[in-house]
Amino acid sequence: MSTRDTSAEVAVLVRQTLALPESEPIEPQQLFFYDLGFTSMDLLDLLFRLEQHFQIEIPEGTIYHLARADLAESEFAEDAVLTEAGRARLMILLYDTPKELFPARIHVTTLPRFCTVGAITRLVDHKLAEQKCSS
Amino acid sequence: MFELMRSISIDAENGRASGVAYVPADHPLFADHFPGKSLLPGSLVLELAAQVAGPLAEEFVKTQLKIERWSILGMVRDARFLQPVFLPASLEITAAISRSQSSNVSANVTVTVNDERVMQAELVMMMLESSAEWTAAIEARNDRLARWKEAS
Repeated sequence: MSTRDTSAEVAVLVRQTLALPESEPIEPQQLFFYDLGFTSMDLLDLLFRLEQHFQIEIPEGTIYHLARADLAESEFAEDAVLTEAGRARLMILLYDTPKELFPARIHVTTLPRFCTVGAITRLVDHKLAEQKCSS
Repeated sequence: MFELMRSISIDAENGRASGVAYVPADHPLFADHFPGKSLLPGSLVLELAAQVAGPLAEEFVKTQLKIERWSILGMVRDARFLQPVFLPASLEITAAISRSQSSNVSANVTVTVNDERVMQAELVMMMLESSAEWTAAIEARNDRLARWKEAS
């Protein structure tokens, strides 16, 4: 069993991205864009830091593919906007994001905006487990 | 900054490019930076590097990802300014793609002056779809790029 504390490591990288002091608490339920004031460039910077630190790859569209899972592309999104089924899938994946934050129309390029720190930590854990399985 | 570039050579297949920029000592931009001792600001060293990394990123996504996008400098990571660049100076710039996605392309850039490395960084170029109002700017940029390529 791994003793790696991914959550603490992600918190350090979030602080580095925003140049926050070590004393600044970073909690799993915090939302990047709503609570931490992230911009899309901050998120990109964090993804680069995560990739470098954990030696993983997080290609664009990762949240999209994880949420869609086995649902057909056309059932998940139409004209780059999530369908009702797609929106429901996203809400299941991002279960710790307050439901009221998901608008009726969600453009597929905005999915990372709804992530909490905890969701990104789960994503890192998922990528690390994938890597372990393939090695 | 465009008139400072002299030449550029792009190898999109291998994700590499090189270019040369010449910055004269009497350029009006640097009159106060500093009087009697012209020094190229680090931000402009980065901008010149982006003049090479940008066209490389565009040709790379066109060749490798089969999409047409226009680049703007989005982020500078791990920049190291190793030596001051006193003017006049001829800057040799190299760029190599380190990662690429349809929305952004990263390139490791190095700038040397007189065979001495003065700056290195990773530039993240944001890749945007063009819109109608960009047409004139894109045409002007393509003209410049053609001249720079011809000069290499």
